[in-house]
Amino acid sequence: MKMKQVFKDVVCSFCGCLCDNLEIEVENGEIRPLSKACTVSRSRFVNYNRDRVPYPMMKINGKHERVSLEESIKKAAEILRNADRPLIYGLSSTTCETQRKCVEIAEKTGGIIDQTATVCHAPTVVAFQETGEIHATLGEIKNRSDLVIFWGCNPLQAHLNHFVRYSVFPKGMYTEKGRKERYIVAVDVRETRTTKLADMFLKITPGKDFELLSVIRALVNGAKINAEEVAGVSMNKIKELVEKMKNCRYGVIFFGLGLTMSRGKHYNIIATLNLVRDLHKYTRFVVIPMRGHFNVKGAGMVLAWQTGYPYAVDFTRGYPRYNPGEYAAVNLLVNREVDAALIVASDPVATFPSPAAKYLTQIPTIVVDPKISMTSLTADVVIPCALAGIETEGTAYRMDGVPIRLKKLIEPKEGVLPDEEIMEKILKRI
Amino acid sequence: MKKLEAVLITGRTDKQGETLEIGKTSKEYFEHLSTVQMNQQDMSEINVKEGDTVKVETEYGSVAVKCKASREIDRGIIFMPYGPWTSLISPVDTEGISMPSFKGIKAKVYKASGERILTIQEIVEGYE
Repeated sequence: MKMKQVFKDVVCSFCGCLCDNLEIEVENGEIRPLSKACTVSRSRFVNYNRDRVPYPMMKINGKHERVSLEESIKKAAEILRNADRPLIYGLSSTTCETQRKCVEIAEKTGGIIDQTATVCHAPTVVAFQETGEIHATLGEIKNRSDLVIFWGCNPLQAHLNHFVRYSVFPKGMYTEKGRKERYIVAVDVRETRTTKLADMFLKITPGKDFELLSVIRALVNGAKINAEEVAGVSMNKIKELVEKMKNCRYGVIFFGLGLTMSRGKHYNIIATLNLVRDLHKYTRFVVIPMRGHFNVKGAGMVLAWQTGYPYAVDFTRGYPRYNPGEYAAVNLLVNREVDAALIVASDPVATFPSPAAKYLTQIPTIVVDPKISMTSLTADVVIPCALAGIETEGTAYRMDGVPIRLKKLIEPKEGVLPDEEIMEKILKRI
Repeated sequence: MKKLEAVLITGRTDKQGETLEIGKTSKEYFEHLSTVQMNQQDMSEINVKEGDTVKVETEYGSVAVKCKASREIDRGIIFMPYGPWTSLISPVDTEGISMPSFKGIKAKVYKASGERILTIQEIVEGYE
């Protein structure tokens, strides 16, 4: 197709912001963002065809050899069928439709399914189950918020359009002056682009988040604290923040992996959620986790509505069981409790601690991914698929839980199927 | 040899997103990810300058990466983009909740001139 085509309101399938306002030009198999795309999104569209898995491959005598799609699917099904306890892992960078098929594979094979939140916002998910979540959509925050707190997150490096579209700059129904009307607070262990743009920056000692959150909560509840500083932050500054919180019209805490991955993990999040709840004695306050991969929220949603649990779900007994410290991917791999793996749209060899990554390279592994990943370099079967949001459509959930339909802009290479269809083919063969 | 004691924070960066989309086997991804950012004074203390190779060592392993000066980081803290190179030194214990602590890891940093920085292919081969 030589014709130049322009697509409007295109959804970017990179991060949990799921920006749905892009204008994209497609010509001769090349994709160019025309407006509004951030640098990461731009890179995703421009480079969509680089570093692709070239064809279905199987490891034969230790080397990847080209095989037909049919052969690769037959082998994948055989690996999963013969395994006692396969791990189905990944899911966050593909569509809900594919995620649903993955659950079916886990159930049919008596395996375990886990998604990338397991090494990301798992503590958030667990804390929500413990405490509950006082929630809003990003649209509501754009229209109402006058105090915005970023705790342990750096949107200017990880969610690049978040400031512009949702949280800091946009002018909304009750926030007509945009940035001027919002007071921005950043809490982090180091100075970042985000902290530099904030009106108040609390530089906190690493690992002391729980302490600081607890003291803020105590002050909100009227307690007196005898200390000059907490977690490296002066008491005057903490008191100033507490006053801002109590007196704002509509406050929001966005938090990231600075809270979930640090000492305390889910206790940090429980402390945050309790603080937000207590602030309702004074005003309206909401809390939103900054989700990373574009459909990691969807992975939790799909697993929850299909199995009752959001991640680390075991089907070994034929019905779903949930125990994060036992059925989660890292635990299973470190403890050598799975004997095959199907990795969908993620790269655990690149991100898991080395003993987990090492074990994964030693069991029969199938990778279904559009691009070459570290896991694909070592997998026994590698099946290329279409890129979600570029070569195939589908549903994804934004970080605030709003489902958005991804668009298809261009045909995938001949013979390359959407991963949903690949899962369906594998399912039929098992 | 002088070893600097530090707290290792791993995290995502915009450059990581950009280079990831170019490709995990790309030169750009390698060059951005296999780095550690440090406070300038900390760098002088272990006698390294921007672009030198250093070793970052934790209880769980060690890895050679390039050193980058950062004005934003306090002394005693080091930052690495989360990925193949941090996985070689990250904790294993998940404390009952599926995830190791990828931030706030006790580490030592020291000069490692001439030490080769592993490519992702070499890291995978090391696992196999």
